[in-house]
Amino acid sequence: MKLEDYRVVFVAVGLIGVLLFASPVLSLVVRLPGGERFSELWVLGPGHMAEDYPFNVRENESYLVYVGVGNHLGSSAYYVMYVKFRNETEPLPNATSGVPSVLAPLYEYRLFLEDNGTGEVPLNFSFSNVSFYGGQSTVGNLTINGVTFGVDKSVSWDEADSGYYYQLFMELWIYDEATNMFVFHNRFVSRWLNMTATV
Amino acid sequence: MKRVLRVSVSFLLVLVLGGLFSRSVFVVRGTDDAVSSVGEADAAVRGAFNATLNAEKAAANVSGLILRLNEAGGLLDEAEVALANGNSTEASSKAGQCIGIAESVKSDADALKASALDQARTVFWTYLTFSVVSSAAFVVALALVWRRFKRGNIRKVLGMRPEVAVDEA
Repeated sequence: MKLEDYRVVFVAVGLIGVLLFASPVLSLVVRLPGGERFSELWVLGPGHMAEDYPFNVRENESYLVYVGVGNHLGSSAYYVMYVKFRNETEPLPNATSGVPSVLAPLYEYRLFLEDNGTGEVPLNFSFSNVSFYGGQSTVGNLTINGVTFGVDKSVSWDEADSGYYYQLFMELWIYDEATNMFVFHNRFVSRWLNMTATV
Repeated sequence: MKRVLRVSVSFLLVLVLGGLFSRSVFVVRGTDDAVSSVGEADAAVRGAFNATLNAEKAAANVSGLILRLNEAGGLLDEAEVALANGNSTEASSKAGQCIGIAESVKSDADALKASALDQARTVFWTYLTFSVVSSAAFVVALALVWRRFKRGNIRKVLGMRPEVAVDEA
């Protein structure tokens, strides 16, 4: 090995050493990109499990589900969940274009989560003023967590699935600090509910 | 007598109408106040969250602030529910409590951010000093080793004797 080759080895060792000694300060300045950033939204049954969801519902009976949110955005987030109720002709959010449903929210939850934090809130609901007439069902009131809302939604008898189907769905919105407004976060969960007559 | 009776009835009528009117005024004003209180609470919560986010960006631990923000958010939800139910007094009261928490979160977040920035500055200068001094010491040490190595290598080359090879063929 020639002296010039040794020189190259010494220079390389020198550079590696300088980088090693500078690594504490470099770690403060250089920010490496994190993993994928996203939020989770889920709905669970009354036992906090993905089972026993209310499906066949009746007037004046109370039902419970849990709605959960997970934050993996790399920083704390301020979420709002809007609870909406629809019949089969009214629009759901459009996940492809990221547009929320035009239906007015009935109820809302606010949730602040740290990065990698999760939160779950109870959604207790019941129906009143329900009627059935001429192959149609109408729901007059929906009570969510003790607050009653006049909804006046009607559905026709569904021949294919044998039932009167309504849908309760929750949209996830997130606070955008740049605009100081909430924007639709393109996530929603829903439950189909078959309204049955009280015997 | 008739005149006195007429005047009394008119007076009573005015009193009743006035009472009704002032009552509706008070009710409307109460609702307006509640709506504006809830609006203020909403703005206060957003402001507190912005301050918390800024503190987090300065590498402060904001777990405690997030817990209190959830408390404020819960009160704001309750205030909105009370407002929707027409209970202005409760809506204003909840909104007031919410504003109190949000403002204290905001001031704590600002203080936390300032202290985190201070700490970050200290850490940065400590690390920078360590990096510069240790790198310089390493480079100097390596240069000394190189000089010694080079000298040794040259001496070794100069001390070599030519090797005589015998051509056996």
